[in-house]
Amino acid sequence: MDAPRLWVRLLSVLVPGPEREEWVEEWDGELAAHGGTMAQAWGALPDAWYLRTEGWTMEGMLRDVRAAGKALARKPFFTALAGITLAVGIGANTAIYSVVDGVLIDPLPYPEGGALVSVNHTAPGLGVPLVPHSEGSYLHYLERFRTLSSFAVFDEDNVNLLTAGVPEQVGGARVSHAFFDVLGTAPLLGRGFAVGEDRVGAEPVAVLGYALWQQTFGSDRGVVGSSVEMDGVPRRVVGVMPEGFAFPAAAGVWVPMSIDDADPDLGSFNVVGIGRLAPEATLTGANEEMQRLLLAFSDAHPDELSRDVLEQAGFRADMKPLKDLYVSDVRQALWVLLGTVGFVLLIACANVANLFLVRAEGRQREQALRTALGATRSDMVRHYLTESLTLALGGGVLGLALASVGVRGLLKLTPVAVPRASEIGIDASVLLFTLAVSVGAGLFFGLFPILGYRRADLSGALKEGGRSSTGGKERHRARSALVVAQVALALMLLVGSGLMARSFSAMRSVDPGFEVADRLAFRVSLPSAEYADAETTRLLHRTLQERLAAIPGVEAAALVSALPLADTKNASPIEPEDRPTAEGQLAPLVNVRQVSPGYFAALGITLAEGRELTFDDGGDLTRAVVVSEAVARTFWPGQSALGRRIRGQGDTQHAWEVVGVASDVRFERLDREPELLVYLPLIYGNPPNVIQTRQLAAVLHVSGDPLAFVPAAREALREVDPRLPMVDPTTMEKIARDAMAATSFTALLLGIAAGIALLLGTVGIYGVVSYVVSRRTQEIGVRMALGAPASQVLREVVAQGMVLTGAGVAVGLLGAWGVSRVLATLLYGVSATDPATYAATAAALTGVAALASWIPARRAARVDPVVALRAE
Amino acid sequence: MGTFRMTQITALVLRAVAQGHRHGFDVMEACDLPSGTAYPALRRLERAGLLRARWENAAAAHAEGRPRRRTYELTAQGRTALPDAEEKLAQVRRLLEVPAPVQVRRA
Repeated sequence: MDAPRLWVRLLSVLVPGPEREEWVEEWDGELAAHGGTMAQAWGALPDAWYLRTEGWTMEGMLRDVRAAGKALARKPFFTALAGITLAVGIGANTAIYSVVDGVLIDPLPYPEGGALVSVNHTAPGLGVPLVPHSEGSYLHYLERFRTLSSFAVFDEDNVNLLTAGVPEQVGGARVSHAFFDVLGTAPLLGRGFAVGEDRVGAEPVAVLGYALWQQTFGSDRGVVGSSVEMDGVPRRVVGVMPEGFAFPAAAGVWVPMSIDDADPDLGSFNVVGIGRLAPEATLTGANEEMQRLLLAFSDAHPDELSRDVLEQAGFRADMKPLKDLYVSDVRQALWVLLGTVGFVLLIACANVANLFLVRAEGRQREQALRTALGATRSDMVRHYLTESLTLALGGGVLGLALASVGVRGLLKLTPVAVPRASEIGIDASVLLFTLAVSVGAGLFFGLFPILGYRRADLSGALKEGGRSSTGGKERHRARSALVVAQVALALMLLVGSGLMARSFSAMRSVDPGFEVADRLAFRVSLPSAEYADAETTRLLHRTLQERLAAIPGVEAAALVSALPLADTKNASPIEPEDRPTAEGQLAPLVNVRQVSPGYFAALGITLAEGRELTFDDGGDLTRAVVVSEAVARTFWPGQSALGRRIRGQGDTQHAWEVVGVASDVRFERLDREPELLVYLPLIYGNPPNVIQTRQLAAVLHVSGDPLAFVPAAREALREVDPRLPMVDPTTMEKIARDAMAATSFTALLLGIAAGIALLLGTVGIYGVVSYVVSRRTQEIGVRMALGAPASQVLREVVAQGMVLTGAGVAVGLLGAWGVSRVLATLLYGVSATDPATYAATAAALTGVAALASWIPARRAARVDPVVALRAE
Repeated sequence: MGTFRMTQITALVLRAVAQGHRHGFDVMEACDLPSGTAYPALRRLERAGLLRARWENAAAAHAEGRPRRRTYELTAQGRTALPDAEEKLAQVRRLLEVPAPVQVRRA
């Protein structure tokens, strides 16, 4: 049966009995005649609700709500227990939904944000999900796009700002001219960038961010038109962006790119493309156009990007909503969390439904009396639903309060940088969600006692004093079914959290290949204008390293182009000179880092063979390189790598001699195998083509608290060049912890959810078994009077609980296996169908359930036959 | 049955049925109302005896391979109420058409 028809059948419960069958048939008929979409079927809800409520008056409803309130107040313990259970369930859902809503669902906060697209490539064959643009591909696309109304590229880059002699590093972006047009945001003051300003030879200009303008320039409107020194270059400020404009998120200043039209860089894909879909264009159409343009680009520049390479790398156009570019990392985890709290709510609802069922049992006489006095079935339904909805809405309000506190706490607690975190909050759509969840929950647990209610039972109920009728049996069945469902859901959550916990511990025990204890790291970036020639830069490298190493308590200091686990990939296709890659094949992508002498010692990386690099390597004569063991294994399996030569793919001019082999390091992520890695000197090449590292990180091996060395390191940096700010001083331990943050955070939240689920599930089993015992007290008494041993009674009662648990565990294991695919991407070092985790959690749950049944069973075994028999 | 009051919605729906829109979804489309509004209006008109519902011939529906549909038509009472409904709608139209309140000048 398809979803709309199923929906109609579900809703038919609301429709009064005599009309139900025809009601379903009418909706079926209309849906069949009109395509039968879910959107059309939604209308069945108000229709069913209308039929259910048509006799209700405002006065009557108020009376019902008052009566419900009174009834709930009469049983404060029941009400508090049910209310808190619901509040936790609804609160958790509201909290996670508000995050999902803010991060994944809300459109980007720009005019017509839905039309904004990420205009980039992907190359799954290289293991690279996002390949941006080169200057050349940007120009190629810019001239030709028809499906985009505007297109721009940008590159995040820190900027050293010098205002009144004080250095400051701010986040920045180099952008092409149409950047602000794409985002549809005009500057608050002045203007954005004009056509041509992003070309080489144009006047250096800049646009400031609001926060920077306020803090550094004291909100001075006169700053527009003035000149500010950035990275050693005076730039004229042409505009100030409005408050809240933050794209990319860390940018406080934007400067135009400097593209050489005559000779654009074709092969370095490092500027990210964004665009705005033209009014009539679709994403699919735009993707198709981009793919055609990509092939044309390849044909025009086969040396940079041949069709063969495209094919091998799976390199293709990948246009998608811009939002997806920023939330892809957390998307999976958030949906899993939302699913998880959904489970918790279902379990909570099952518990409350159980409470209601038990209560309905006790109220059979009351029902019978009401009916005898002329209450119709519809009246009873209304009565119960009002009660459950009142309770659910109360729980919802409480849950909303919990959520608004919880979300703020969660965001403060989370070590993960949640993208778009500022957009998370309780807004109208979250309120609507909470209302829907509360009403849904209220209907769910309110309908259970009603389903068990049969008019026919009532005469019996009156006669028998509210005991053991068929209705009771039906309710018991309903309750058992609820418990089985609870156990199943709880097991699924336990398996999930068990797998996450194992991933976390597997990650913790991973050896990253370098030491994290007693290590301080910070960044420095050298303005290209002041550090234009290699000698100046080399002098800075040397003196800075010497000064840092001379600080008392510092055992070793070194410089590197990128820190492990903290910085992004910079990989090139590299091949061994003695075994060049075949024509048309792509050489392995190898990560490239530039390091100073002493780097391996400073980070505790073992040198397996050969020597370290020196400051003299990389000059005219020696092009020396250290490779990781993984590179040595890949290129020269079973042989020594020393003395061999490697080169950039196809580069017959420059080869590098391997002088050392370093042990493997997990540079990119802890949960990936160590990457292929080569270490080059900080400066290499011959004039005029000298490559020098200006984006630096310093690593200090110290004795004592690393952060205590920050002032001394700052002083050392100031002595070397007072205009260079120290950026992001932190410990390597913190960097390693942050690298595990997403996993540990997901594991923690799943753990909490599974804990709640286990608790609620246990309470459910306990409740049902207790109830059965209380119902059977008399029977047990008789049997014990006839000589049944207490141990047999104990066994029997526990067995009853275990049958339910066993059924729940079986369903739960199947369910966990069914959804394991969803979790798989979040796991590390453990399979999503890991038998040990499944077995252990099933055993743990069974154990707890056995305990929960044993407590009431012991009570049953202690029944005094005399007392039990006298009770009747 | 409780007292029936003609509203703009019921008037719209009644007129749509009178114009020959005989199924729930057709009425909904003709009136440009969401199904959650159109259906309760149909129910009220039916309860009040202004509309009568019938099931179409099951054999005919089966021949076309779909479930039978419920059709609505005006009762005699409904036809009597039609001018009332038209008047209701005309009132609304007038309200919407008059651009500004007319100044009443005292003599």
